Amino acid sequence: MVEMFQNLYLGFSVALRPDVLLYAFAGCIIGTLVGVLPGVGPLAGISLLLPATFGLDATTAVVMLAGIYYGAMYGGSTTSILMRIPGEAASVMTCIDGYAMTRKGRAGPALAIAAVGSYLAGTVSVVALMFLAPPLAAFALRFGPPEYSALLVLGLLVLAYMSGGSMIKGLAMAALGLLLGMIGIDPMTGYSRFHYGLVELGDGIGIVPVAVGLFGVSEILLTAGQPTPPKVIKPKIRELLPSREEWRDSAWPIGRGTILGFVIGIIPGSAHIISSFVSYAIERRLSKHPERFGQGAVAGVAGPESANNSATSGAFVPMLALGVPSGPIPAVMLAAMMVHGISPGPLLISQQPDLFWGFIASMYVGNLVLLILNLPLVGIFVNLLRVPYPLLYPSILVFCILGVYAVNSSVIDVWIMAITGLMGYVLRKLEFETAPIVLGLVLAPMLEMSLRQSLAMSSGDYAIFVNRPITATMLSIALVLLVLSLKPLFTGKVDWRGSLSQQAQPGEE
Amino acid sequence: MKSLTWKVYRKAGSAKAAIPRRLVVSVSLALLVAQAVHGQEAFPSRTITLVAPFPPGGVADLTARPVAAAMEKILKNPVVVVNKTGAAGAVGMAYVATAKADGYTLLLSLSSISIIPEADKLFDRKPAYTMDQLVPLALISADPTILVVHAERPWKSVKELVEDAKKRPGQISFSSSGIYGTLHMATEMLSHAAGVKFKHVPYGGAGPALTAILGGHVDMLASGPAVVLPHIKSGKLRPLAGWGAKRVDAVPSLPTFKELGYEIEFYIWAGVFAPNGTPEPVMKKLRDTLRQGVQDSDFKSAMTKLQTPIAYLDAPEFKKFWDKDAKMLADAIKRVGKIEEKK
Repeated sequence: MVEMFQNLYLGFSVALRPDVLLYAFAGCIIGTLVGVLPGVGPLAGISLLLPATFGLDATTAVVMLAGIYYGAMYGGSTTSILMRIPGEAASVMTCIDGYAMTRKGRAGPALAIAAVGSYLAGTVSVVALMFLAPPLAAFALRFGPPEYSALLVLGLLVLAYMSGGSMIKGLAMAALGLLLGMIGIDPMTGYSRFHYGLVELGDGIGIVPVAVGLFGVSEILLTAGQPTPPKVIKPKIRELLPSREEWRDSAWPIGRGTILGFVIGIIPGSAHIISSFVSYAIERRLSKHPERFGQGAVAGVAGPESANNSATSGAFVPMLALGVPSGPIPAVMLAAMMVHGISPGPLLISQQPDLFWGFIASMYVGNLVLLILNLPLVGIFVNLLRVPYPLLYPSILVFCILGVYAVNSSVIDVWIMAITGLMGYVLRKLEFETAPIVLGLVLAPMLEMSLRQSLAMSSGDYAIFVNRPITATMLSIALVLLVLSLKPLFTGKVDWRGSLSQQAQPGEE
Repeated sequence: MKSLTWKVYRKAGSAKAAIPRRLVVSVSLALLVAQAVHGQEAFPSRTITLVAPFPPGGVADLTARPVAAAMEKILKNPVVVVNKTGAAGAVGMAYVATAKADGYTLLLSLSSISIIPEADKLFDRKPAYTMDQLVPLALISADPTILVVHAERPWKSVKELVEDAKKRPGQISFSSSGIYGTLHMATEMLSHAAGVKFKHVPYGGAGPALTAILGGHVDMLASGPAVVLPHIKSGKLRPLAGWGAKRVDAVPSLPTFKELGYEIEFYIWAGVFAPNGTPEPVMKKLRDTLRQGVQDSDFKSAMTKLQTPIAYLDAPEFKKFWDKDAKMLADAIKRVGKIEEKK
């Protein structure tokens, strides 16, 4: 314990050095901007700015890049809540209830809850990172393809709780998402699938253009299709802060989201994206008022936003403790260290204590900076809603196109956004929910890869999913959940979905 | 110059009937030639783009940055690195292959440049580009891969590994950066030379492939030395041999496959290419620039930090090296063949 405080002292003496502080601050601001820009997510942000860190020393470089990463997670909520445009894949779920809150004039509280939730999640998960990094990292490495498949199967079950309307419609959308995820070069054999001669489709359809299209562009089209323009919502000062009830409703979701995000975050790979989806589903399942979800439930903002922030810290666990490139973003950060001649590896903590503890301390500082930065910005951002729609929406569309294009300099991505935008418009007119498409698209390539890798490992023997303890446990949980969800079929009881439609009917008539 | 051209064209346009067409054509041709000569004299007069077909943070990107910096210093002209990624590098490579051959769009590519057209051929796909659309300028670096096994596995030498693999064909597994990727090819060469069969578990990139062996989900991996060295030092991984012609400096005790009697050699190399048809004077200027660039002290120190050995070859020698390497990879791809569906 004494050692821990000495280490932390060392860390803060590094993190509070003026130059480190300056770059942490710069990273947070850039990250917020990156998050706010539709389409440009943390990976694109970090990748674009990686060369700019070559001139810095290793610690400032890593601190700044980490700042961009978690800053983007803060910023990503802003456009989701205000305009229903997911800044990156992890904030798709925030769009649903966040934007519903905005339509009800509660944009301020939604933004404030998102910022506070992100701060708490960020800080608590850094504490966890500090104390638990080495043992957790060893655990994280035990996640091989079979464990990953089991995790993703659990993720698929989440789909059942994602939409409030018809189950069949929800599953149909998820199937569509899974099918879209099949496009691209088959990772196990090299065959091309459904690419129609476009080299750019070799890697499959990007999640971000689809998310921006389905959520943002479709919203713009729907608004444009209304006979009268929607009323401009003028925010009032006293409505900027969450009410006591909203705070109470967010407390548990923030706590659960933090733990969930951290646990999913430490698993190597890209599973951290699903943390916000899973969090949303859990909150809906546990809520006393599942019918409020989709209509502006504050828990639907607090949970996913906390989850995606603590997943960022979780992702640093294997990276810092073992030097393992555990995901695309940690891989870029490890490259930033290599450029400075530091070999990331299991000895990083003992050989580079300045870097490790400075990094940890800077995350405490950075999260605080972001909170201080974001809370006053709530007032400014909310005022964006005062801009009349004829001016606001065309400019949003321009930013969507710019953002989506900027990531890969790919016109194909812009087309994907436009087509899915139209698709989203038609689907929403027909009362299909679009979030399951995004989750399907996120899960399909990961599930396919890990399932087929597992079978390659076992030479085609499915017993690999039963013989491994973690896999077996997760699959049993999945089975229990599945049986539980089928229970109403046999007992004749009405589950939440049924009661939802019963309640909704009188209102609709 | 510009205004003159414009005037001539306008005149030609208004007095089409009066002036014989041949004259107009020859005048404009002459002007074009004049402009081209003018352009050559001034090369480079605007920003040069060095395309890295892989995402930032990868070997291609990290090599491209110091190369661009060194070129910039010598040419006294901006050289920017642009990451054009997608389809295992095919998007960026095809972009440069079809770019205007004026020396302003260059490519920094890895060995996989020779793999993609072969894989396209294998699957009867319309090739994204062909290798003759690109001409080599200089080889920058060549890093031999080394074979590592998980430390808890029993094999202490290549001999033990091969003997065990003969006893249990297709049981010992290896991870790779992807099917037909460089790391897959290196292992394929070994399995061909040793006459054994390993089990392939492809991953989506070199990073996940390394994570997989560290977690013990596969038995072995062919990898660039720099990324596995820390894990060798910490005792998580055990090196068995290297694919280079010489031993790796960082692990001098590690034998090469050639020493062990396997006639295989494999490098992950990085080289600079230009679109075919780039004018000879421009090519010469770029080659001279790169020759000086690899001597630059900042460039050398950047490459030392990345632990990537500089292996400069000028265009003619690089061409020979590339042809040989491409032939070797093409053979390996043909041996792997298409993975047919099981009936």
